[in-house]
Amino acid sequence: MRHLLIRLHHILFAWRRIFSEELLAMVLVLLVFAAPVSAAMRFQERSLYMNSSAPGATTSYTISFRYMSPQVVGSVDMLFCNDPIPYHPCVKPAGLDVSGAELSQQSGETGFSIQSKSDNHIVLTRLQGMVTNNSSSYTFDNIVNPTDTSQAFSIRLRSHASTDVSGPQIDFGSVRGQVTSGVVIETQVPPMLIFCVAEKVSENCTGTNNNYYANMGQLNSNTTLTAQSQMAVGTNATGGFAITANGIPLSAGTSVIDGLKKPTKSAPGSNQFGINLVANNSPAIGNDPEGAWTNAVSSPDYSLPNQYKYVSGDVVAFSPNVSLVRKFTVSYIVNSREELRPGVYTTTITYIASGRF
Amino acid sequence: MKRFKNIVLVCFVVAIAAIYALPAQSASAASSAALSIVPKKNYTIEAGKSINDKLVVRNLDGKTPLQLTLRVVDFTFTDDGGTPKLMLAEDAPQTTWSLKPFMTVPKTVTIKPNSSKSLDMSVSIPKGHGAGSYYSAIVYSSGAPDGGNVGLSASGVTLVFTSIPGKVDENLKLEQFGAYDLNAKKPGYVFVATSKPEAIAYTLKNNGNVTESPAGSITLKDMFGREQVIGNVNPSKSLALINQKRTFTACIKLKSEQVEFEGGSTKSTACADPDLWPGFYTASLDVFYGQNGNKTQEIVSTAYFFYLPWWFIIILVIVLMVIVYFVWRVVRAVKQRKRTSRTSRRR
Repeated sequence: MRHLLIRLHHILFAWRRIFSEELLAMVLVLLVFAAPVSAAMRFQERSLYMNSSAPGATTSYTISFRYMSPQVVGSVDMLFCNDPIPYHPCVKPAGLDVSGAELSQQSGETGFSIQSKSDNHIVLTRLQGMVTNNSSSYTFDNIVNPTDTSQAFSIRLRSHASTDVSGPQIDFGSVRGQVTSGVVIETQVPPMLIFCVAEKVSENCTGTNNNYYANMGQLNSNTTLTAQSQMAVGTNATGGFAITANGIPLSAGTSVIDGLKKPTKSAPGSNQFGINLVANNSPAIGNDPEGAWTNAVSSPDYSLPNQYKYVSGDVVAFSPNVSLVRKFTVSYIVNSREELRPGVYTTTITYIASGRF
Repeated sequence: MKRFKNIVLVCFVVAIAAIYALPAQSASAASSAALSIVPKKNYTIEAGKSINDKLVVRNLDGKTPLQLTLRVVDFTFTDDGGTPKLMLAEDAPQTTWSLKPFMTVPKTVTIKPNSSKSLDMSVSIPKGHGAGSYYSAIVYSSGAPDGGNVGLSASGVTLVFTSIPGKVDENLKLEQFGAYDLNAKKPGYVFVATSKPEAIAYTLKNNGNVTESPAGSITLKDMFGREQVIGNVNPSKSLALINQKRTFTACIKLKSEQVEFEGGSTKSTACADPDLWPGFYTASLDVFYGQNGNKTQEIVSTAYFFYLPWWFIIILVIVLMVIVYFVWRVVRAVKQRKRTSRTSRRR
């Protein structure tokens, strides 16, 4: 064993100068300079200006970018796809047509003409020349915009030394565009939000019992007063909806029964005002959300059986995306201390349904 | 005279009783609280121009008319999601992105049972107004009832977004990126997921003066190099509001179906089972953003996560224990053999 250690020490001692700061520095320099030699660079300051962003409109596009590599460039490839990533399969944006495009203006690196074009592909060519003007822009007339407003589209750009986009690429990058104003398709229902509130509502909001208040009875320190209301909500908006409960808790003049700040069990004898949106057995009140569509849910803090909370402005139910109409039952509880100031305690809870952005 | 007094007294009692009874009747005969509205409006308006549009509001109640009061309020974000925080207070300060001064909507409207009305609205942007995103909300409120301890009122909201074209300040900063557990009690990012992560998410902080809706793709690679591409990283066209830290989630596998909604068809999407095997995963993000005519900016990032379900961990532990046991047996056997050979040599 001792022999082995002595031999190891001899070997390491002989190599001790090799592991010096100089060697470390050389490795770092190699890492920094060796890597970019063969790597293509991204065009910088890329932008797309669409003269009209209306879906299906015939308009002009100005594509601008800065060449990054000081090399000879003979052609530029412009491929119009939904996805901007160069190595992903290209799906042509619906409705787009660049087959009639004409290069009407160019600045910076100039001398280009259109070599070939198809529905979603333009190849620019010129006599091979060194890049001297980095920032360049190219305007094409007679381009038909995509029609799909639901997603952005991209133009994948590549520069090549050859005049026919063959051989290795020099710089690359994508620009992004989007058509903005909507085309109403006959069979498609425009986005809408359906919402109703009452003591009792039908599942699709076509009817309510037209009662918009609840008498909870006489407050006393031994019993929990309860009430119930219902609301139904649905939307075909892709962003979904959110419902907030708004209003001050039960009050009589300056005397207020505060809302429960976090989910809490009902405790007769203390001042409590709270709501939840699920079935409870203490006290026996409420119902779980009704309806087959499960995208719409009550918020976690208001979904705990036998636990109640009320903070004005809280989201009590929401859906992250399209949701057919679903019905929620809201349970209200009120408890009071013995020494609560006498009076008629009232509140109005406003349920606000909004779309999401 | 006494008889006259009695009549007056009876009349007084009847009047008092009627006064007490009336609020209950008026409340029940008040406005309907069943409405259908447009949840969102998007406009692109050049400075100095205006648009006129219609807001279609429907009374879903078949018996009671719908009486609404309309007002425009500002809003911001609630959290890293898409729920608007409405600034309902009358004295709420105007936001820097407020569209309120440029919007005109009617103050009140009454709609007959089971019918709809188109309300005129307009947005006028003054000449020379700076480019950027401006947004406010239209709140439609049904009346508050009289009577009872708890009164109920329903309000609907239309979010109105307007983009004024021109040179804008766009600045999104990537805050977080990785696997996202949508089904957890509190959805969030996970590094070691014990249940199959159905979505990949990224959080962007918007430091610019425009709302941003990024587009791009995410490539998910398992430890054997197999790839899955999430082609649309923002399928709901969600927005990052000004100053918001917004989390965008994209399903690894998306399922969509056509559903019937109010007499027409609508596409509904949800996350499907992503068919992931236990192991180590690498996710690569490549998103783009940029308004028309402005620079297209790109955000790239890589994230890693493990998907280790409990059943896999249990099997792994059992396998490890078996390996350790066999190694221990082999070591023990070798030691025993050495010992036996040493003793036999001594003999």
